[in-house]
Amino acid sequence: MIKVNNLVKVFSGRGKPIRAVDNVSTQVSKGEVVVIIGPSGSGKSTFLRCLNGLEAFDDGQVIIDGVDLGDSKTNINIVRREVGMVFQHFNLFPHKTVFENVTLAQRIVRKRTAAEADAKAMALLNKVGIAEKAPEYPSRLSGGQQQRVAIARALAMDPKVMLFDEPTSALDPEMVGEVLDVMQQLAREGMTMAVVTHEMGFAREVAQRVLFMDAGKILEDAPPAEFFTAPKEPRARAFLKQVL
Amino acid sequence: MPLKRPSVQWPWHGLLALILLGLAIGLWVATKRVNYEWRWARVPQYFFYQAEDTQAAPVAGTINKINPNGAYSQVDITPANGGQAVSLTVETDTLKVKIGDPVAEGDGIGAQRHWKIGPLSWGLWVTIWISFVSGLIGLFIGLITGLCRLSPNPALRGLAVFYIELIRGTPLLVQIFIFYFFIGTVLNLDRIVAGIGALALFVGAYTAEIIRAGIQSIAKGQTEAARSLGMTAAQTMTHIVLPQALKRVLPPLAGQFISLIKDSSLVSVIAITDLTKSGREIITSSFATFEIWFTVALLYLVVTSLLSQLLFWLERRFARSD
Repeated sequence: MIKVNNLVKVFSGRGKPIRAVDNVSTQVSKGEVVVIIGPSGSGKSTFLRCLNGLEAFDDGQVIIDGVDLGDSKTNINIVRREVGMVFQHFNLFPHKTVFENVTLAQRIVRKRTAAEADAKAMALLNKVGIAEKAPEYPSRLSGGQQQRVAIARALAMDPKVMLFDEPTSALDPEMVGEVLDVMQQLAREGMTMAVVTHEMGFAREVAQRVLFMDAGKILEDAPPAEFFTAPKEPRARAFLKQVL
Repeated sequence: MPLKRPSVQWPWHGLLALILLGLAIGLWVATKRVNYEWRWARVPQYFFYQAEDTQAAPVAGTINKINPNGAYSQVDITPANGGQAVSLTVETDTLKVKIGDPVAEGDGIGAQRHWKIGPLSWGLWVTIWISFVSGLIGLFIGLITGLCRLSPNPALRGLAVFYIELIRGTPLLVQIFIFYFFIGTVLNLDRIVAGIGALALFVGAYTAEIIRAGIQSIAKGQTEAARSLGMTAAQTMTHIVLPQALKRVLPPLAGQFISLIKDSSLVSVIAITDLTKSGREIITSSFATFEIWFTVALLYLVVTSLLSQLLFWLERRFARSD
């Protein structure tokens, strides 16, 4: 489903250029849940954002469901319909109600009729357990509720892949659970997911594979059971000692 | 003792009243010193007045009959050369002839009165509509320029910067002259068109900067979220970024349009009869210099306060989603 070959992303602001993603190759098959962990600044978020072209990568190849993102003939907007993304800071549209947040892109991107979009939105809001907040504006919702709306918004496009960029990092601790529950349910339904997170519990229970990144490289790629009990890399061992 | 003490306000209100009273007295004394005679009674006629239309005899002849009918009277004239009698209607109290009077062609028989809009009202209307039209065009220009200013295309960006710098770096008065005397001559523009054009370009440059700042103030995450859903850059701009940006820049935009109403007084230099020009013209006939300028100022104040109330109301309406 996702295939990444020798991906390179260089940030060349002031000072010396930083290779945020340094020659990364990996793949995620259909229905697989991959969790990416690593210390901050390790390039895991940048890597994830390269997967739907939010970051323009410098070199390498990203292939989503057979479509090469770097190909000049590829329409990136059409690929992005198939790749849902959930952000750390939710990024709900504050001038739209919860309901409109979920219907807007269906209408203008998928060109669905109002009735189709409304039905889909209601079904998804029910699924993430927040249907009663549909007419409210996002500012009235708690962080956890907003993040669940953001997940519903992404799912409304019927994506083949879901990317989660630290979806629980900006939440109060008691709200982390409700978001993780939704994600877990999604994983059970067979969604292909790439998740950047600091929730080791989620990684252990839900992920099929854990990628450990540091300094722009994937240092370790292992099933969670193996990774959490016997990490091979010294950097991974040091990291786990810090967070567990 | 609690940190929060009841604060005593009334002495300060008293001080404020005292200062305002002092100003008023100062003004009064100052006008006394220059021996100015206030003639406020002359002002209202410049808003609305009763115009008298003199009704003249269309033919030479004799007044045959006067038929009073309340405020109006019907006057019949028998032409001297025979022929059909002619009848005129005039207001009774303006009647200048009696039965049997001979009249020559063109002699005044009486007058009809009707209310007319005075120069102050007319000038006010011109100021309002010129400001409205140039504000609307300016908003459009500003929107386009603001978007160009943020375009990744260097040509569009360069043009936008050039336009903004050009307009912001020169006085509006000079721009109006250039627009009227140069562009207006070359393109054969009407003075009103030239005036509106100059004001629209002027306000457009400032609006562009306001809109640019508004767009830039919207968090990048909004664009990223919209793009990640597959929206194009244009869809993201129209559905997500611009609605939020415009809501945010409403207060500075309001300030800009209030300035526009005041700046529109400068078009009086190219002989557009706006409120300011009307005021100047009235003074030459009424000699009520102080009264007219105070009235003109008050009229501008009324229009700008109404506009700021309107925009304040809009702002509150948009605040629903906060």
